[in-house]
Amino acid sequence: MTKDEIYSKMSEAIVAGDREAARGLAEEAVRSGLDLLEVVDRGYVPGIQKVGELWEQGEYFLPELITSAEAMKAAMGVLEPELKKRNAGSRAGGRVVIGTIEGDIHDIGKNLVASMLQAGGFEVHDLGADVKLERYIETAEEVGADMICLSALLTTTMMNQRRFIGLLRERGLRDKYKVLVGGAPANRAWAEEIGADGFAENAVAAVKLARSLAGRP
Amino acid sequence: MTHPILELARSRTVLFDGAMGTELMARGLAPGAPPELWNAERPDAVREVHAAYFEAGADIVSTNTFGGTPVRLAAHGLEARAFELNRAAARLAREAAPPGRFVAASLGPTGKFLKPQGPATEDELSAAYAEQARALADGGVDLFLIETQYDLREALAAIQGIGSVSRLPVFVTMTFNVFPRGYFTLLGDSAARAAAELEKAGAAAVGANCTLTSEQMVGCIAALRSATTLPLVAQANAGQPAVGPDGKVGYAQPVEAYVRSVPDLIAAGAGFVGGCCGTTPDHVRAMARAIRRKEAS
Repeated sequence: MTKDEIYSKMSEAIVAGDREAARGLAEEAVRSGLDLLEVVDRGYVPGIQKVGELWEQGEYFLPELITSAEAMKAAMGVLEPELKKRNAGSRAGGRVVIGTIEGDIHDIGKNLVASMLQAGGFEVHDLGADVKLERYIETAEEVGADMICLSALLTTTMMNQRRFIGLLRERGLRDKYKVLVGGAPANRAWAEEIGADGFAENAVAAVKLARSLAGRP
Repeated sequence: MTHPILELARSRTVLFDGAMGTELMARGLAPGAPPELWNAERPDAVREVHAAYFEAGADIVSTNTFGGTPVRLAAHGLEARAFELNRAAARLAREAAPPGRFVAASLGPTGKFLKPQGPATEDELSAAYAEQARALADGGVDLFLIETQYDLREALAAIQGIGSVSRLPVFVTMTFNVFPRGYFTLLGDSAARAAAELEKAGAAAVGANCTLTSEQMVGCIAALRSATTLPLVAQANAGQPAVGPDGKVGYAQPVEAYVRSVPDLIAAGAGFVGGCCGTTPDHVRAMARAIRRKEAS
């Protein structure tokens, strides 16, 4: 098999949400001494990107997105430790702290974004739902996060996204983190209104946004 | 014998109410606090909202129990009070209802995904809906309204659970997004498939609520109509949320814009119309006028 054939098999395994195949191909790549960064970038990442396109077109829905993200995580679970050993960490995207904002218990969208970010190569610290504003900051400081993602489903709890940015400013930490906001009622105008660094419409768009803010292709 | 609400729907368009949560917040409910708690703590406020909707012309109001399954209440540590809060809600709506008007029991999603996407099983969800339904029936509702469902499997589990404790009619409205290929739930169920499966499972009426504007919902109702002969329910959002001049986010679509699509919804097959997020007694009043006009013509 040529390298291109192997890469396209990897991509297909992700698109099909085939966890076993995704993991098996990753193990095979490690055994045969392939360039693992290239394996990630040319094999697996195009797969998860294709999944994103299918979701945006309404061909894939949440179950497919989750299965593909799981397959991606299975492959990355094999590749990450090897990359670390070789000092070639692929998590160039960096660390993300994510949670549903204080007062809001809706976590479906947030879970999906967390899962897709993880599949997209980010180190994700998911704080769950109804996360106190202080806690985002504490965790971000503790883990050395680059980005903080705030989810809110209600127009009322969205106000806490604004409060959070105010709190970051008060602490003199505003420029230290990129702050992304999302949730059904959020939109670009809201992100601008409260001075967030970005807004994403859905989990796939969130990964694209996070990658671009992290300076990755 | 047919239920009186279904009889009424045969003779004319039946009007549901509008949003509950935002009305309670206008009366002081803290953002993020569980509205169900007010069934016990501020019964006057809940009754007042129902009364305002009836006064505006609603034929049916929905109980303040959208997040009232024990599974959902558990997120607020209130699961042990599920029976009490649901029964109280049903009684409040009943007390507010003038003779000849109706009370629908609102049952929203549990917020848990079924396996393999999440941890829940169909049996667990059925049991949660059954527990909520038992309390609501005890409090005197006329029908059940399973709302805002994004997973057909959960909706079917809900029908099953409710059916195990009550023989009252069960309406189911799901929430659909619009895609180039049509209307689909978050989990990928098409409007047509949802309508057919819900009918097979014994729903008395099916429909769509939330997410879509009234204009977008017209096509969705037509898609549902293509797959079922059941009465259809349409409860749209008042536009899309926008940042207002006060820097707060809200549904700011003018009432006239919302109501403009009501005749189209009826023409597409909706026998029940009402409102979801952002709608108020003003929307219901305007809908009542639009329905009367449509029926006179």
